Amino acid sequence: MKHVFIRIFILLMLVLPFQLAAQDGADYSRSIGKIYVVVAVILVIFLGIVIYLISLDRKISKLEKRIDNE
Amino acid sequence: MKQLKAHWWKFLGVAILVIVFLKGMLVPLSAGIISVSRNSAKPLENLQLVVKGYNTHFKDSKGPQAWLKLDSLYSIQCSSFIVADQTTATVAFWIPAGLPYEGTRAPLTLIIDNEVDGTSVLPFAVSFVVNDIASTGQGWNVEALEGLHERTHTTYPFRNILNETIRNTYFHVPLWFGMMVLFIASVISAIKYIRSKDPHDDLKSLAFCRAGILFGILGLVTGAIWAKHTWGAYWSWDVKQNMSAIALLIYGAYFVLRNSMSDNDSQARIAAVYNIFAFVTLIPLLFVIPRLTDSLHPGNGGNPALGGEDLDHSMRMVFYPAIIGWTLLGVWIAQLSYRVDRLKHKLLNH
Amino acid sequence: MTLSKEILFLIRKEFILEFRQKYAISGILLYVLSTVFIVFASFFQLPKQVWHTMFWVITLFAAINAIVKSFVQESGSRQLYYYQLVSPHAVLISKMIYNALLLLTLSILTWFALGFIAGNPVRDLSLFSGALCLSALGFSITLTFVSAIAAKASNNATLLAILGFPLIIPILMTLIKLSANAVGLLSDTAYINDVYILISIDMLLLALAIFLFPYLWRD
Repeated sequence: MKHVFIRIFILLMLVLPFQLAAQDGADYSRSIGKIYVVVAVILVIFLGIVIYLISLDRKISKLEKRIDNE
Repeated sequence: MKQLKAHWWKFLGVAILVIVFLKGMLVPLSAGIISVSRNSAKPLENLQLVVKGYNTHFKDSKGPQAWLKLDSLYSIQCSSFIVADQTTATVAFWIPAGLPYEGTRAPLTLIIDNEVDGTSVLPFAVSFVVNDIASTGQGWNVEALEGLHERTHTTYPFRNILNETIRNTYFHVPLWFGMMVLFIASVISAIKYIRSKDPHDDLKSLAFCRAGILFGILGLVTGAIWAKHTWGAYWSWDVKQNMSAIALLIYGAYFVLRNSMSDNDSQARIAAVYNIFAFVTLIPLLFVIPRLTDSLHPGNGGNPALGGEDLDHSMRMVFYPAIIGWTLLGVWIAQLSYRVDRLKHKLLNH
Repeated sequence: MTLSKEILFLIRKEFILEFRQKYAISGILLYVLSTVFIVFASFFQLPKQVWHTMFWVITLFAAINAIVKSFVQESGSRQLYYYQLVSPHAVLISKMIYNALLLLTLSILTWFALGFIAGNPVRDLSLFSGALCLSALGFSITLTFVSAIAAKASNNATLLAILGFPLIIPILMTLIKLSANAVGLLSDTAYINDVYILISIDMLLLALAIFLFPYLWRD
């Protein structure tokens, strides 16, 4: 159940920026000197690192379980 | 204190990145010209150009000047400069009867200068179309442009297609460098493993590879977003894009190879051999293709990214630290992954 | 036995085996010819660009098909038998030379078949044949070694394709630039640099393969 939530969360985080960007079409992303492109780039990097953290988190949880069982 | 000694490079990386983020986002772009109302000029007309500026301060400045420049010798000075607001102005030029050289068509570059914003340039702003070929020097200014102002505070250069996205230089470009450093570290660990047979070297190689793939994917995705909004397509068949994609395929195959084996020792050995061999096959891409195809990336062809004059001093001062900062972050990510793997390895062989 | 004698002996063995079990080589020949035929049947007229693309697609897949059997489809007991008799280097080098010859034959055959059916757009014959030789050499070195890796890992042909294709791409891209020059799609006067780079990368990969092979084989 927990994994399902994580997956939905990841999916949301991936879809959301593009949804935002698509709202007003090309004009939105071109406004204020295309600063939203920079925002999108930074957001993608942040999300990538978060996804990496989640995978690391799960690995550590497995490790903890194994240690606790011993 | 002890903490600081062991982890100084992580602090260094994070501190650099904080500075990079602050400087990268807060330093303004220098003034630039976004558009002009007309793209062609006829002989002997009074050309009225409505100029849209970016980050300009037309209202605050005294005595703004404008020129249409043909080449290093010939130019036309504006006859009037009427300011509407900070970013809009109407500039008028008396266009001469003909070109000083033979020809029927010539691009003119618009130059605007004032003491607040410094000089801004819009290359090929207006195309001058002449009907008769006969050349005339009349009406052209042959003196060099004088009294141009330098902008006093630090700014990043304004580029027409890039605009604010020039800031991505600090966030997207270092990912590529970081990826290469991580893959090289992975290969070095693989070589170490082959010589030492120490399973920890193999785990290090694996961890560097993982972090490299993360950086590669992020670099590709952010590059695609940037490319879409500047060059017009997500995938522009560019050298560095291709190279990262192939590197990702190669190291993706590396994981397939690892997963296809269950025996720990032979898994490590064969993976190390593949890692070294695979890295060498990437070499042609480093040398050959950049020379042949016109890359959109800096240093190749006439592209408006950076390189040459584009990566000016103010950007270099942030860009080089950014490479170091992102690479240190990548090494940190790899180290975390390695430590988990090491514990797992220890538990399994307990 | 010296290394060169061993290599010669093993190459002869490969040829004899190939002629004894004709189905492998005739399968590849059939693949080449039928693909050429299908290409022609679907395009009817091949512009230079399509000709050039199809040539490399056919050559690439023929190469993968031909090299799969060099290590992957050899039985473990037969491999063990060789390694007791001769040095591992002799096995690797002989297979590379044999595969290079096989690939060269295959690509020349593809060239003739495409040329016979759809015309020959090649302008610079020496450059194109040079590219073919370099492709045979590069593909054979890379794929033979990857085949050895795949054989050691899980001994299946899919793994060879997964590992081999990405490794081939950089070499293939350089080769395509070269042959595009020969066909007249590109006009780059400095192509000789590409030739040097290909030769040096082939040599580098060969040296690396020879150096790494014992580590791969130590069981």
